[in-house]
Amino acid sequence: MLPIPGISSNNPMLFAAVSQWLAESRMPLPVGLRLRVDVVEVVPVEDDPREIFPQGDVQIRAGHPLGWVHLTWKRAPAMARIEESRPEAHVQLSREAAADLDYLLRSFLLVTLIFLWKRDGRYHVHAGSGIDPRGRGWMLIGNSNSGKSTTTALLAARGWQVSTDDIAFLMESNGKAGVMGFRSPIALRSGGLHLLGQAGGVALTARDKTGFWPEQLGASWVQTVEPDIVVFTSVEGARTTLVPMLPGEVLKGLLQWSLWVMFEPTAAQEHLDLLSRLGRQAKCYRATLAPDLFAAPGALEDFLP
Amino acid sequence: MTESSYRRHPDIRLTSLEGEGVVLHLRERRYFSVSETGLVLLEALKESRTFGELVEGLLSEYEVDRETAVETTRAFLDQCLASAVVVETKT
Repeated sequence: MLPIPGISSNNPMLFAAVSQWLAESRMPLPVGLRLRVDVVEVVPVEDDPREIFPQGDVQIRAGHPLGWVHLTWKRAPAMARIEESRPEAHVQLSREAAADLDYLLRSFLLVTLIFLWKRDGRYHVHAGSGIDPRGRGWMLIGNSNSGKSTTTALLAARGWQVSTDDIAFLMESNGKAGVMGFRSPIALRSGGLHLLGQAGGVALTARDKTGFWPEQLGASWVQTVEPDIVVFTSVEGARTTLVPMLPGEVLKGLLQWSLWVMFEPTAAQEHLDLLSRLGRQAKCYRATLAPDLFAAPGALEDFLP
Repeated sequence: MTESSYRRHPDIRLTSLEGEGVVLHLRERRYFSVSETGLVLLEALKESRTFGELVEGLLSEYEVDRETAVETTRAFLDQCLASAVVVETKT
């Protein structure tokens, strides 16, 4: 495997693992961004008076008065420093943190990269995305229990092009708001797996889920989608419904699921402008997703002719 | 004689969609909705403005009488000052 430009480490195994992870995600670091990941004997403890914002196991301190972003990890000693005005991140890990590699990558390192990519105009949003058979770009937005992954798997099985079921990055794309998918297996809980009725997949033991690459479900993978339709999802009831949203609801909804905009002034206006551009270019709906979706031949696209 | 001027807090960011606005207060890490009129006032408050200038701005933007413009501006400014969205300077 070729080394990915912009990444460096004092630990060859960690370097290889991070490089492979980013290569698989199809989101290598853009030119100019730098990520250094070191294993150290003692992880420094910075004197930082800022309020802590927990994001899962990651503790975030950012913004005024220090500027730089300071991340620490609750699972094991680790810290990251993302510079305010330079696209650089330095991660220092204890041996214990480095040994917890799978979790380290999709928890601590992913959050580090979310802040780093922000410095290159890519803004994280909790969303799935894909393109329906009629060529319309879709985005499914919501939390981790809102049916995004199960629905994405269903749409993949129905021949949609699929980008991601959960980790998406808003960016400018051909003068529009686009969303870039972080390629990873579509991760289903047992309930979703049962609804899909699909055998196989890879056991994601630590997450108690089963993973499918889009191709394993019959879909092709697409990196970037320009959404024409945005659906805020929740799982509820016996019938799937879609209700158009008002502009004010749309903006607040988009903000709610792209909350990284709140942490620091860096690129906050650009991030906000991209959210409102997305709200302008897409028709936005609030959806309740129900098991009847799995019995409908046209799946979600039939709800919106 | 002192006169007050007003300006958006430097940690405020705002955006809009079809006349509905969202204001983000980065220092306090919260966001809230704002009306179309509020958006016009907050856009004006990117620069330092006196109360009279804000009222004139509303009068030029909307077909309202002066009394309504004064009341709207006063109520909005009071809300913004209370929530640190706008800062006041006395000169």
